[in-house]
Amino acid sequence: MIPSLSAGTKVLVLGLTGRMGRAHAARMRAYGTNIVGGTAIRVGTAEEQDGLPIFPDITAAVAATGARAAIAMTPPGGTRAAAESAFAAGISLLVTVAEGVPVHDALAIGRAARAAGVTWVGSSTPGLAVPGATKIGFLPDVALRPGEIGLMSKSGTLSYEVGYRMAARGLGQSLWVGVGGDPVKGTRFADLLPVFQADPRTRAMVLVGEVGGAEEEEFADALTATRGAKPVLAVIAGREAKEGVSMGHAGALTWGEFGTYASKRARLTAAGARCFDNVEALVEALAQG
Amino acid sequence: MLLIEADGKALLARHGLAVPRAALVRAGEAAGFCLDGSGPWVVKAQVPAGGRGKAGGIVLCRTPEEVEVSLARLLGTTLRGHPVTACLVEEAVCGAAEHYLSLMVDPAGLGIRIAWSRAGGVEVESAAPPAACTTSPDEAAILAAAEEILATADPAERTALRGAVRDLARALLAEGLLLVEVNPLFIGSFGTLAGDAKVVLDLNLAEGQADLRALVLARPDAYPDAVRKLQEGFDYVELDPEGEVGLVTTGAGLSMVVVDEMTAAGLRPLNFCDLRTGQLRGDPTRLVRVLDWISARPSVCVVLVNIFAGITDLGEFGRLLSDALDRTGLRLPVVARLVGTGAAAGRAELARRHPGVIVEDDLLAAVARAATLCKP
Repeated sequence: MIPSLSAGTKVLVLGLTGRMGRAHAARMRAYGTNIVGGTAIRVGTAEEQDGLPIFPDITAAVAATGARAAIAMTPPGGTRAAAESAFAAGISLLVTVAEGVPVHDALAIGRAARAAGVTWVGSSTPGLAVPGATKIGFLPDVALRPGEIGLMSKSGTLSYEVGYRMAARGLGQSLWVGVGGDPVKGTRFADLLPVFQADPRTRAMVLVGEVGGAEEEEFADALTATRGAKPVLAVIAGREAKEGVSMGHAGALTWGEFGTYASKRARLTAAGARCFDNVEALVEALAQG
Repeated sequence: MLLIEADGKALLARHGLAVPRAALVRAGEAAGFCLDGSGPWVVKAQVPAGGRGKAGGIVLCRTPEEVEVSLARLLGTTLRGHPVTACLVEEAVCGAAEHYLSLMVDPAGLGIRIAWSRAGGVEVESAAPPAACTTSPDEAAILAAAEEILATADPAERTALRGAVRDLARALLAEGLLLVEVNPLFIGSFGTLAGDAKVVLDLNLAEGQADLRALVLARPDAYPDAVRKLQEGFDYVELDPEGEVGLVTTGAGLSMVVVDEMTAAGLRPLNFCDLRTGQLRGDPTRLVRVLDWISARPSVCVVLVNIFAGITDLGEFGRLLSDALDRTGLRLPVVARLVGTGAAAGRAELARRHPGVIVEDDLLAAVARAATLCKP
C-alpha cells in the first residue's frame, strides 16, 4: 500500500484518546494527513474527540470509514493485540510507534502481517511520509520537503538530521520510511528497494543505517541482484559503538564480527552504494547531483 | 543484550542443558578460592563480548598454580573493551567431539533459525557453513526442523543433539531470547556438555519480568549500562572513562553519529546517551542524573547537548535543562544545539536563565566549539 499513499489516504489512529495519540493526531492533521477517526485507549470512554469519531473497536472503525491505513499509538505491551485486531479488521498498512515491544511479540506480528499479505511498518518507528501530501507518524515538519530522494532509516533522529540538512539545501524526499531500530520488524530496507525502484518520483535513495543486525547486508544483496538500480547513498551510525551493549536501539547490538560498521560498509560498497563518513558529506554529494 | 557466559549457562541449565562443573571467581576473591576436581581447568574472562579466546581471555590450566596465575593475570584487566571483573574456572572437557549448535530469532525469515555443525570450536567460522534452516517459533516445529538438519549426524550423536536442541528451544521460547549459541557443544559418553554459551536477552522483557530483571540487576559490574537502563528508563553507555566530552543527547542513531563525528575530529567522548527527551513529562530528573554522572568524571572538560526534536517540545526542554543546571550547579562549559519543535522558545529560556550556555545551530559547529573549549 505504501506506493499508493496520497493526501487523500484515510488514516485511523489506534489509541487516539491517549496523550500521544491526541497530540500527534493534531500534528498529523495540521500537516494535511486525512485522519478519519480512531479507537480509544479504554473502550467506551468517548464517542468523539477534537471533531474525530471514536469507534468501539478497529473493526467498527474500518467498516464506518473505509480506511485501510492505521497508526497504533499503543504502549509496547499492547502492540501485538492492536496489530492482530487491525489485520483481522482488514487494515493493509499498519504503522506502530511503540518502543520496547518484546522481540517475540514482534515475531508474531510480523508473521501475522505476512500471512494476511499486508504491510507493517514498525515495531518502533517515527513513521513514514510522502512530503507535501501525507505523514503517518511524527516525522518533524522542519525535515520534510517534497523532492525526489527516497529516504529510509532505522533511526528517527538521525533521519531528521539528514532530512533537515537536505531541506536546507533545497533537496527533498519523494517518500520517507522509518523502518525502526528494533531487530525484528515489519518492513526492512530490502523490502523498500523495489518500492523506490518502481516509484517514478524517486531519483535516488538514501539509506541511513546503523550497527547491529544484518539489514544493511541484506539490502546490499538485493541491490546487487537489481538490474538498473537507482543510485544509493548511505551513512551508517555506530562506528564507535561498544560491543555487547545495545546502543539505544534494541537492534543496535554487535558481538564479535556480527553487525559491525566494517561489515555493513564493505557489503554496501561492494554492491555499488556510495558510503559516507558523515551526514554532511552525504548531503553534499546529493546536492552535487 | 549479550550475557556473560556464566549467566548464559545458568539460564540454559534451568531448561535442562548440562554444563561443566565451574565456579565464578570475582576480583578480590581469587585468594580464598577453592578449586574443585583434579584438573585440568579452563579459566575464562567473563565479559559480554565475542572473540574472547583470540583476545587471550580463555586459558587452559593444568595445575592449581596455573589457575592462580591466570586469574591474577586476567582479573582487573580489560578485554575487548570490557573490564574483567570475574572469571569462570571450569573443569576442562577432554577427548570429546566439539560441535556447534545455535537457535536464533531470524529477523528476515520471521522465524527461528537452527544451525548445527560437526566442526565446532574456535575455528567454526572458517569451517564449512553449518547446516541451517528457519522454522516457526514453536517447540514442535523446531524439533521437526532439527531432524532434517541432523540427518547427517551419526546415530549416537543425533540422540544427544536432539536433547540439546529441545533444551535450547525451551530456553529460547520461554525466556523470549534472541540467541542461544553453544560452541563448543561437547559430545561424549556423558551425553552433551555446553563448553560455552552465547545468550542474547531481550532487555525489553527484562523490564517487566522479575526473574530476568533480577538476573541483570545482580551484576552491576558486568552490565553497568543495562542496569542503568532498567533503573533509569533510558540509555547511557560509558564509552571512555577518561573521555573529555560529556554528551546529553537523544535519539539512538543521531547520538551514535555525534560520538562517531567527535571521535573522527580527534575528541574523546565520555559517553553515548539516548535520553528519550519525549518522555521527560516536565521532570528534569533524567537531566540531573546525566549531568551528575558526567561531572563525576574529572577528565571531562565540556558538555555537549544535541537535541533534534520530533516528539520533544524544546520550549519545555530549555526549561528542564535550566532547572537541571540550577540543581546540579554544573561548573563545566555547556554547548547546546537545539533543532525542531519549539527551538526558539528553548533557546530563549536558556538565554534568560543560563546566558553562559553557548547555543549553536549546526551540529558540526557545535562539535567544533566543544573542541576549542576542550583544547584551547
